[in-house]
Amino acid sequence: MINKRVVRYVVIKILVYLITLFVAFSIVFFFLRLIPGDPVSRFIRLIEQRYSIQLAQVTQEIINEYKRKFGLEGDIATQYVSYLNRVFLEFDLGPSFLNFPNPVQDLIAWRLPWSIGLLGAATLISWAIGILAGTLVGWKRGSKIDSIMFTISLCMSQVPFYLLALFLVMFLAYIFTIFPPRWAFSPTVTPGLNLAFISSVIYHATLPSLSLILISSLGWLISTRAITITILGEDYLLFAQAKGLRKIRILSRYLLRNTLLPQTTGLAMSLGFIVNGFYLVEWIFSYPGVGTLLVQAINALDYNTVQGVILISIFTVLTANLIIDLIYPLIDPRVRGE
Amino acid sequence: MEPILEVDDLRVYYKSIWGDYKSVDGVSVKAYRNEVLSIAGESGCGKSTLVEGILRLVKPPGYIPTGKVIFEGIDILRVPEEELRRIRWSKLAYVPQGAMNSLNPVIKVEEQMVDAIIDHSGMDKEKAKEVALAMLKEVGLPVEVANMYPHQLSGGMKQRVIIATAIALKPNLVIADEPTTALDVVVQRGILQLLRMLKENYHMTVIMVSHDMAAHAQIADRIAIMYAGKIVEVGLINQVFKEPLHPYTKGLISAIPAIGKKYVKGIPGLAPSPLNWPSGCRFHPRCQHATELCVKVEPSIREVERERFVACHLYG
Repeated sequence: MINKRVVRYVVIKILVYLITLFVAFSIVFFFLRLIPGDPVSRFIRLIEQRYSIQLAQVTQEIINEYKRKFGLEGDIATQYVSYLNRVFLEFDLGPSFLNFPNPVQDLIAWRLPWSIGLLGAATLISWAIGILAGTLVGWKRGSKIDSIMFTISLCMSQVPFYLLALFLVMFLAYIFTIFPPRWAFSPTVTPGLNLAFISSVIYHATLPSLSLILISSLGWLISTRAITITILGEDYLLFAQAKGLRKIRILSRYLLRNTLLPQTTGLAMSLGFIVNGFYLVEWIFSYPGVGTLLVQAINALDYNTVQGVILISIFTVLTANLIIDLIYPLIDPRVRGE
Repeated sequence: MEPILEVDDLRVYYKSIWGDYKSVDGVSVKAYRNEVLSIAGESGCGKSTLVEGILRLVKPPGYIPTGKVIFEGIDILRVPEEELRRIRWSKLAYVPQGAMNSLNPVIKVEEQMVDAIIDHSGMDKEKAKEVALAMLKEVGLPVEVANMYPHQLSGGMKQRVIIATAIALKPNLVIADEPTTALDVVVQRGILQLLRMLKENYHMTVIMVSHDMAAHAQIADRIAIMYAGKIVEVGLINQVFKEPLHPYTKGLISAIPAIGKKYVKGIPGLAPSPLNWPSGCRFHPRCQHATELCVKVEPSIREVERERFVACHLYG
């Protein structure tokens, strides 16, 4: 199976991946510098607030020292080069303002698993639900269940995640205290591989993931329904019916199998578009994920952390796309070009 | 002769906001055991819809207001769905019009043959595979085709795969809808010979629907001519070609191109719309023999000789 063409395909995909990563990275760097405000003076004010002191005279020396630490020395080109050096050669994202002097990568490393766990699980669950429901609804197109589900989906899928999240918090956490309103686990459990901790994590993740799943699964339902209806009009589906195959086989091998092709690409694409919406949901639930970190960092004009977080997001989206590109030939024989 | 399929006053309409499209509007036709019956007619006369009606494959907005399709004593249009599923393929197979797109693009040819065999017989996978391979050989394809995906095959090969799938369970009746359209002439000939072979080697009944009169001439025993949702003439193939009765049939036959023929004479005018068929004889606006009677009264189909039917006032 592994021949020259496969190697070529993989190499091209990886090259495109690296170039995209680099370009996106540079764009983020320069755009951040367009935000008005002086990060160092903001940082000093942050310290003043945090320790309730007045730094009466901040000498130029101190400012320069901080500038050097944060990589803010010289003009923008110098900063860019030194940042590139630091990130790609030393694999260091620089110190954070928020948690000075801890480097950004430590901050992200602690928060990333929470985000991936919550957002990843929610995305996959809503994708699976949306595709199954969409296929069934499309199969029964024109029926009552179809028109009801389709109408509900059309309205609900346009509701922003954070709005539903706010409602859920209000009703299920404050008015009826069924679920916890914030954080990822109860302060009374010890983190680790024990049942109490795991169940506490799931319990805390229910509301945030529910607000994501309820909405995005309906979005998947709509697109899957449309794809299903197109496939139902294909000659091979009529032929499958004429062959008198069992319904379950037509549904799984002929209908669902073909729906999966575009929807797998869709899954990778959607990771890119939902990231920001998802981050807001984290913020609402004070979930200790990367999204909350990003909001805090922007408020503090913490260049390094913002850059780091966006870099990680870009990295995640691109990597997801690369993985899909690499497994696509396995699910679509036409791409293999045998 | 005993009929294997009797279609009686079958109508297939399509709902639309302008009214019903009466694509098939009262077709009665019989197919006898072990014959090749051709159904001919120009584009838009309702041939493919007729096939979908016979097989009960009409999709909404299409529906069947009236009609009977008796296949081996069973009314296909009224039998419960599960029973219909069992009859399909094991007894009644279909070779669709769009062979190019009739195979599922993402699964291998072999699996698409095997799934039909398994769903209709008690065979296990291994046995079904053997049958599938034997059928591929039977239609003149190398066995390697089994392991290929549809996009790796040419149009003619796909058509053969479909025929191989159709005959795998030795059905009594195979209905082929435009089996040669979109294929080049050489491949067409091979497919036609293959269909003829089904009749001769397996004693199957074949109904072939096509607009291609030359194709019919090559393999048919009997031919039914369809116009505007109705059958206008039925007869043995030789009779009909030698001595066509209905003016429309005459037009169709004179429109066959031949070597040495400088001009091909077409039928003047266009096929009418199924939304609003002409009054009286539906062919009268294009017929040079049309009279007052033809405009007002619809001719019924009559047996003018033994096994020779025509619906035309000229022969009343």
